[in-house]
Order: sequence, then structure tokens, then C-alpha cells
Amino acid sequence: MRRFEYFEPATLAEASALLARYGARAQPLAGGTDLLVELKEQLRRADCVVNIKKIPGIAAMSFDPRAGLRIGALVTAREIEISPVTAKYYPSLVQAARELGSIQVRNRATIVGNVCRASPSADTLPPLIADGAVVSIHGGQGTRRVPLEDFFTGPGKTVLKSGELMTEIVVPPPAPRTGKVYIKHGRRKAMELATVGVAVTLELEDEVRIVLGAVAPTPIRAKAAEALLRGREIDPALIERAARAAAEESRPISNVRASAEYRREMVGVLTRRALQRALDAVR
Amino acid sequence: MSDFSVIGESRLRPDMPGKVSGRAQYAGDLSLPGMLHAKTKRSNVAHARIKRIDATRALAYEGVKAVLTHHDVPRVLHYGSPHPRSASVTKDQYILDSKVRYWGESVAVVAAVSEEIAEEALDLIEVEYETLPALLTVDEAFSSSVRIHELRNDNLVVDPVTVRRGDVEKGFKEADLIVEGTYAMGRPTPAYMEPNVCVSQWSEDRLTMWISTQTPFMVRGILAEVLGLPLTKVRVLVDHMGGGFGAKQDLFQTEFLCALLAKKARRPVRMEFTRKETFLGGRSRHPGTVWLKQGFRKDGTISARQARVTFNSGAYGSHAPGVTAVGTTALTSLYRCDNVLLEGRAVYTNTPIAGAYRGYGVVQTYYALDIQMDEAAEKLGMDPAALKLKNAVREGDLSPSGHPIVGHGLEDCIKRGMEETSWPVTRKSGHGVVRRGRGMGCEMHGSSAYPGIKEQGNATVRMNDDGTAQLFTGTTGLGTGAHTALAQVVAEELGLRFEDVSVVHGDTDVVPWDIGAFASHTTYMGGRAAQMAAAEVKKQLLSIAAEALEASHQDLEIRQGVVRVKGSDRQISVRDAVSPKLGLPTPQLIASATYKPTKSYSFAAHFVEVQVDTETGQIDVLQVVPVHEVGRVIHPVAAAGQIEGGIQQGIGHTLTEDYVIDLQTGRSLNAGFVDYKMPLSLDMPPIRTILLETAPDPGGPFGAKGVGEDPIIAIGPAIANAVYDAIGLRFRHYPITPEDVVSGLRQKRKV
Amino acid sequence: MKKISFTLNGEERHLELEPWRSLLDALRNEAGLTGTKKGCDVGDCGACTVLVDGKPLNSCLMLGVEADGREVVTIEGIEHPLQEKFAQLGGAQCGFCTPGMIVMAKALLDENPNPTEDEIRFGIAGNICRCTGYTRIVEAIEAAAKEMKK
Repeated sequence: MRRFEYFEPATLAEASALLARYGARAQPLAGGTDLLVELKEQLRRADCVVNIKKIPGIAAMSFDPRAGLRIGALVTAREIEISPVTAKYYPSLVQAARELGSIQVRNRATIVGNVCRASPSADTLPPLIADGAVVSIHGGQGTRRVPLEDFFTGPGKTVLKSGELMTEIVVPPPAPRTGKVYIKHGRRKAMELATVGVAVTLELEDEVRIVLGAVAPTPIRAKAAEALLRGREIDPALIERAARAAAEESRPISNVRASAEYRREMVGVLTRRALQRALDAVR
Repeated sequence: MSDFSVIGESRLRPDMPGKVSGRAQYAGDLSLPGMLHAKTKRSNVAHARIKRIDATRALAYEGVKAVLTHHDVPRVLHYGSPHPRSASVTKDQYILDSKVRYWGESVAVVAAVSEEIAEEALDLIEVEYETLPALLTVDEAFSSSVRIHELRNDNLVVDPVTVRRGDVEKGFKEADLIVEGTYAMGRPTPAYMEPNVCVSQWSEDRLTMWISTQTPFMVRGILAEVLGLPLTKVRVLVDHMGGGFGAKQDLFQTEFLCALLAKKARRPVRMEFTRKETFLGGRSRHPGTVWLKQGFRKDGTISARQARVTFNSGAYGSHAPGVTAVGTTALTSLYRCDNVLLEGRAVYTNTPIAGAYRGYGVVQTYYALDIQMDEAAEKLGMDPAALKLKNAVREGDLSPSGHPIVGHGLEDCIKRGMEETSWPVTRKSGHGVVRRGRGMGCEMHGSSAYPGIKEQGNATVRMNDDGTAQLFTGTTGLGTGAHTALAQVVAEELGLRFEDVSVVHGDTDVVPWDIGAFASHTTYMGGRAAQMAAAEVKKQLLSIAAEALEASHQDLEIRQGVVRVKGSDRQISVRDAVSPKLGLPTPQLIASATYKPTKSYSFAAHFVEVQVDTETGQIDVLQVVPVHEVGRVIHPVAAAGQIEGGIQQGIGHTLTEDYVIDLQTGRSLNAGFVDYKMPLSLDMPPIRTILLETAPDPGGPFGAKGVGEDPIIAIGPAIANAVYDAIGLRFRHYPITPEDVVSGLRQKRKV
Repeated sequence: MKKISFTLNGEERHLELEPWRSLLDALRNEAGLTGTKKGCDVGDCGACTVLVDGKPLNSCLMLGVEADGREVVTIEGIEHPLQEKFAQLGGAQCGFCTPGMIVMAKALLDENPNPTEDEIRFGIAGNICRCTGYTRIVEAIEAAAKEMKK
């Protein structure tokens, strides 16, 4: 790694100030499982690294049946993976966390970090968006809340402004009779970056949200597919139509992992499977 | 109940305690006072002349102690793989050249007080390239007038190889069925877990190098030659190695650069590859194509075989001659055919270098051959295993090396595998989304690098005056457990307990010369030499014991460290026999042996079950039953370990591993473990290894033959054949990707 | 340079580290423990796995200075039936992945003393072995688990 200046701010205000002062030359460090890799491979430069793990009040994960799930900035993927609460109420998020890297990576990688890195193929993004997550951002002007769906502006790009830090993600409580599924497509069973990711949150005969990862510059809602299903009684023929609609809505690129055509086809396959599984889960 | 004392037992490997405790030392663990760290600047263009390279600013950077560019190193053309005067390797490399021939080639090196500073200094080296047209495919290399090397007037690495037996034209006329196809191979790389590393230190005019290499004597030889030193002034040390798989028998230029930096800086230097550099600067398997045509009689026997093998060598020749010769010649055998015409050639391209890698050209050619046998079986209405059994080479047939084959190893493997897997299984044709299929593939492979490389096995055995013995062997410890097997051989031959034999290796100042650990040479050649040397020491020992027991040689036997007179209770421990006696000189029991090259062949048949998801195209290997005939199993766990590990690499190259180059620029697209996809714990199937000893080779120690390379050859075609069984799609290439399956099924539905 | 204090294999250690030094490099260089290996340096292979406060993680992806106040355990600090089983049953060949593999397996057994084969394979999914094909690694871990039940 190239040499850098290093800070361990004790408060959010201190951290924000540091990030604002150094601007693009500073990087916040939480889990480090993205940042350190990018520094070592010279995909990112950091003249200054701001370790936020000494800041109090951002490490907790808590659940309340009315307020939902609160994921503090320092909550790791592993905590989400093994929590009995998330297992019960947010199974698609758990599935995504389970497939993020390895256990070693998950013991460090934070959910908030996964979100802020904003990789189009990041696993936790589709399920969080499908569940209607909202993020809290701390900055010079105090705290603002942004629906996660509106947080991403491009590959690796978000609405975060200079000096801002995400402090938590709030995921609404699940409605009764909800099925939640995340399916990741990859070439092998672990240590994979998704070539396609599909998350479905389905509230029986009511609301449905389908979120696609790795097939557009940001995670996207497959709104046309959702519209076909919303409020309707869902049968295999409808699922098939929705899956095809989702495939058409995707805008994948070709790269060394997969071609655009194949990814588009997999959106159809995985959306169909996810919808079916969500339906089975709810019944 | 075995007659053997220690052969056939999986004794605790002496290297294990160190490896499971973290105490085992690898070359990169060494720290010397004042040691500097070296980093390499690599080209970002696939083919160019270096118009100007200036390292002045780098040299002036604080913490930098030495820098080398092509201006600063001896300009000596040398072999890319240091096998001396061998026909298997190419002499086409300079330490650093004024030209770069592939994206990522070294152009300069820096030694500094820390890795970070060395890395930062690389940015300060100014390079101006004059780009040349890059030939990134085999077709471009053949058709272009651009020359990648100036040594020939074409882009071939070496003159093509032609092998002829009998009369193919006549053979094809006799045929009732002709099958023809072109088979294509991707670019897998060995991806050993320990990145290449070396440490150099000069003391006066003596160079010591600690290095992760399979061929310490070769490294010593070429360092001496290129640096102009006598062999007595170069010492190469290898302790534990973190894998090599054949690729670490090449030179990576790091050896010279590390030594020269150390000389210039007058401080020890460590040069370690990053994982990315093991791709950029490492060695892959040769990609290429095999065009194969065979004529079959209606009884299934083969009347003619013709093939054209074309290998892509990348920017330098390395092992292209050997890989092409061995891979091409292998097609004379495996399945019997009297009329054979084979051509093999290797061509330069401006892509990363292909070199020696487990299987050495035969992975590619037998992939084609074995799949085509399945194709023929279908057309003939025969079961593929039955067809292969019918044509399997057997005792007396001429092997690819020209030696007669001993025993019926291949037939034994096929038959046993068929039994174990209840082959063939009639199945209702699958219509579900997920379909299963079974397939089998065969192979044979030689133990020893003969005739390509100056092959021999050397060993020295010395008995200490407490009755323990030491084997001095030049073979390197790749990590396979072969040295444990050698210790077992010596213990068995000498009649000692296994615990009383230790193996000394890895120091070129101390052990006898050896070509190194590759070509499945260690157990067969190194082991036989060890046995021969032990037999000599045994004679000496028996003389002493005979005197002590007042018996003659012939009446004595040694077992578990005790010498007994047969049929009596007179005995003496080996320790007592050799221990120093008052007033007498201590006996010096020591002997050396050289085993001149020959070759033996091991055989295998792999039976595989796969599952294909017809919607995603995902192929999973559900089960592998590998049957291997190895002559004699010295250490069952080590032998099985080689087989299972080879299967992991083979599943990799057949389904998911491909080191990909951008065909516009020549840039590497997946030089890392994120996108170079090896099978991991969740991807690997259960493996039920079966070892046979039905065709022991008298040339090997106790009949033993090699096993290291065989598994990676048989598994590929077995999987491809199983996929055909599952979904009726015939793939003639590797890797077979999910996209291939999905688009193949789509085409099939249209028809 | 930053001064840190931490417990390493049960012993109190004090190191002075540059902030950009990974924990892996700090362990191998400043702390003199070369048992933990560098296979890729970017968290893809698991060869650098160590325990920090009981949790297995890739030491290449943690800064050395972050170890301040923590309990770090490396392969050198482990004494466990796993080691004998790996040694006897072919769980190691070249040995380079072995330290990380054993540390990960120990963490796995600490949390789940009775894992199924699937759970074992899931647990070591982040540890690459290029020599064994994983069959005997799984066997060794199962054997160690069985041994510990006695």
C-alpha cells in the first residue's frame, strides 16, 4: 500500500470535518474489506484514511416490531448473517450477507460499507431496497434521510457529499405474510461477485418489489415486472411474464464475468425462481 | 498382509509438524539483516520497443538503494527454463530486453528499504515505448509478417514436430467410420498458493539464493553461466515450497534481477511476486487447438489417427518444444493404432507466457482424443467405456517414449471403474430443468522427463554411527510428500525403521545434482536411485553384521533396524553393528547411485457424475471415482492426495478457470483470484480414490511409478463426456461455461 | 509511527507501526511470526487468517494499528487436535494454506463443535487450497471434531 496519513476521530463531527477538509483525498475506513483492496490494487488513492471505528453510537444492530431493523454503520455482515432476528424477519438480507465473500471477510465488512461502496453487483443492496430501507447520513448540516433506492447515482457513485458519513440503515418492519428471497448468480458457490442478483419482497396479494443487481449502473427496481404482479393473484404464467419483463428492464454490460445477453437471460430465470420461492415462503 | 515393512503405509510425513504449526520455513519467511525489498515495473503495452527508459529519479528517491533497467544488466541470451542443453526448452530470453513482448513484461526493478517505497519509486521510472503491432491470437501470429522474436523468420517457437507410424492413408481407407473434429483449449494457470519469491545475498564473490523453485540445480547452473561465476560460488537453497505444479521450474527473470540488485546495493534483497504478478509474470498452460481425425473399423478398432496440434506459447518459448513434443507424441498411444501421423507446432504471440504445467501438453491432446472416442462410440453404437477398453494400450505395445508398456494398467483401471460405478447405467432420458449425466475419461502419463531433458536420478545414502541413515537427494520438496516416500524406500531397502531415516534436500552445496521435481520424476527416478544407493549401503552393513554374527551375507536379513540370522535367534541391532568400537576405526557406510533414464507409464480412468442446470447452464460435478494404476503405492495418503488435488485443478480448467487477455490490447482481464475462478470447498465433489498396483514397473523403486500428473489429464474428458450424457451437447473445448451450455441448448431447441 | 499494545498468542506485545502496515505484514515482520502466510494480500484466499478477539478474519485486510488493545491469535499460538489430524490424514501437502486453514477450522469448531460436512465446507469456503482438492481437509476437521467429543 502507498503511504497515507491516518486518523482515528472520536466523534462523528470530527470525522465529518476531516473528510470535508481532505475531500476526495480522504477515505473513511470501517471494515476495510473494500478500501484496503482498492488501495493495494491502486484503484483508489488515499492520502488520508479516517478510521471511524472509534466513534461511539454507530455499532449497534437493533430490532423493534414497529420501528423495524436498525443497522449501525459498524455492524458487520457476519452479525446480520447469524442474528436470529434477521433470520426471522429479513431472510433475503441474511441470504445476501451469507454470500458476501467469506466468513473472514464478513467478520469485518460492514453493511453500511457495502452500501456506500455502491458497486452495482453488491449483494446487500437489492434486498435492502426491496425491503424499503432508508439511510441516515450525517454531515455538516446535521442528519438527513434518503431512501436507499434513491441513494445510488452510478457505479461506485452515491448522493453522499463531501464530509458526509452514513450512520445507519433503517429497514421497515415486515408486513405479515411476506416472502423475501435473494438469489445470487455466480460461477461458483462462494467468494463470488454477483453476475446477476435478484431480490424479491412479496406481500401476498398486495405489494411486490423486485430489485435487480449487477445488470445496470446501479441496483434497479424492475417496475414493469412489479406492475404486472401488484395486487393480483399470482400464478406461474404471470410469474413467467413478470420474469420476462424484468429481463427486458435490465441493462447489463458484457465483461470478463459474463456477457450482457447471458445476464439478461439470467435475470429472467432468477426472477422467476425468486418469485416462486417468495410465494412458497408466504403460503 | 503385506510383505513390506513400511512401503504401503501412510507414515507421518516429517514435514507435517512444521507445516501445521506455522514453523515450516518458506523462502519468503526469511529475514536477513539489512534486507531490501524489490519491486518490478511492468509494461502496459503488449508489443513495443523501449525507445527510452530512465530511472534516474527513482534512484534518487529516498530509501531506494538500487535500480536496474536493460541498460544495467548483462545482455545474455538464455533458456527461459534452466534445463541445460535440453531440447524441451527455448533459448530466447534476456534478463531485461530493450523490447517488450507482452503486457506486463518486466522493464525495470527497484530495491528499496521497504516495499512501499520500492512501489512508489516505480512511478518515477520513465519509459517511452514505440508500439509495434501486437499479435494476440495464433491466427494473427501465423498470418502476420511481424516477428515477435528475431531468431527465426517466422513466429514459430521451434521447428514443427512430426511423428509417423505405419501408413495413415492406408489406414483411413480401411476405415468404416471416420470421425473428425477440432478441439480448443483455454488458458488455465497453476495458481500455486505461494507466490514466486527469492532472496539473494552476496558474501565476497559468493552468491547464496533462497528461492521457491522446483529446480535448484538448474537455477544454480544458469545463474553461474549468465553471471559468469563458477558453480562453486553459487549456492541455491530451497526448504519448503508452497506448490509449483510444474510452473516453478522456469526462470522468471527475478532470479537474475534479485541477484544483480543485491550485488549493486551490497545488501540482501528479497523479491516476491504479488498475486497479480504470478499471473502477469508467471506461466500458464498452453492454449491451443487440436485437429483430430480417426478411422474406425466397424468392430471398433482404430485403423488410422491423424492430428495437428497447435499451441500458443505466449511471448516466450519456455517449454513449448517439450510440451509440443510430449503432447503430440502422446497421441501415438493410449488407444491402439498402428497408423499414425501427427504434427505439432508452437507459435509465439504477444500474450502471457505458457510454460510447464502438470500434464505438459497431454492435458490438451488427450482431452481431444478421449472426447472423440466417445463421439465414435455413439456413431458405432458402442458403449464408450467398452470402446476404450477394447482399444486400450497394453503390455508390449509401444509407448510414446518408445519403451514397451508393462502390464495391463489401463485395462485394469477401466474395468475396475466400471465395476465400482455399475457402468453402464441405463437411464430414463432426463426432461427436468436439472439433468444428470455420467462420463468417463482415460489417460496415461510417463514418469520421468526422458527423453526431452537430461534426465537422471541421483542419490547418496549415508549411515550414521548410531544406526540412523540419511538420504541426500537433489529432488526438491514441492509439498507432495515425495520425500517421505523416498525415506520409506530407503527404510524398506535398508531394513531400518522409518523413523531412523531422514532426508536431506534443498542445498545445492550438499546434495547430489538432480534435474529437480517435475515430470513425475521424484518417486520413480529419485526413488530408484535412492533404492540403489541404499542397497549398496546394505551390502556394507551386512558385511559388518556378518562378521559380528559369524554368519554369511546370504543368511542375514534386516528388518525394523535389527539384523537377524535367518532361522535362528542370533541377531544384532543395526545400531550396535555400526557403533564405534574401542580401538577400531568407525565404519563409513556411504554409497551413491545414479539411475540412468528410462520411462514408465502410469494409467488412470476417471468416472464422473455431473449435474447440469439447463436454465442457468451451471455444471456441477457431483462425484468422481478416479481409478489409478501406479505400480506400487508407497504412501497411500500422499498418492491419493495427488489425485484429489489434480482433480481440483482439472475441474477448474474444464469448467471455470481461464486466464483471459483482452483481444484488442493484450491486457490481462483477470489476474487475480476474484475473477480467475478455481473450485473452492463448496464446489468440489466427494472423490472416491481407487489405487491399483497391477502393473508394477521393475524400473521403479519396488515397482512404483509416478502419479502427480495423471489425475489432471483424465478428469477433463470425463466431465465433458458426462455433460454430453446429461444434455446431449458435445463440447469440444474447455472451459465449458454456463453460457456455452445455455446457448448450446438454445441452438438445439431451434433445430 | 504509532505505538500499539496488544495480546499476541497470550503474550503482551508492544509494536511501533506505520499506519499503512497491514496486520499480516506486522505479524510477519515486526512481530517476527512468519507462520501466517501471504497468498494474495487482498482477502481472496484466506491464507492470512488469524483470530482477533476470537473471530477469524483476513489479516491482510486489517491495519496493524487496529490490533491495539485486541487479542490476536495466530497459528503459532494454537494447540489443537486439528493439527495432528491435518498432519496424519493428508489435510496438508505443500502446507502454505495450512496455517490459515487450521485457524479457520478452529474458529469453526469453537462455534460449532459438531459440524456437518456441508457446514465444514461452508466454513472454509474462504480458504483456498490448490493441493488437496479439500477431501482430506474436510476429513481432518471431522476427525478433530470427533476427537474432541471424547
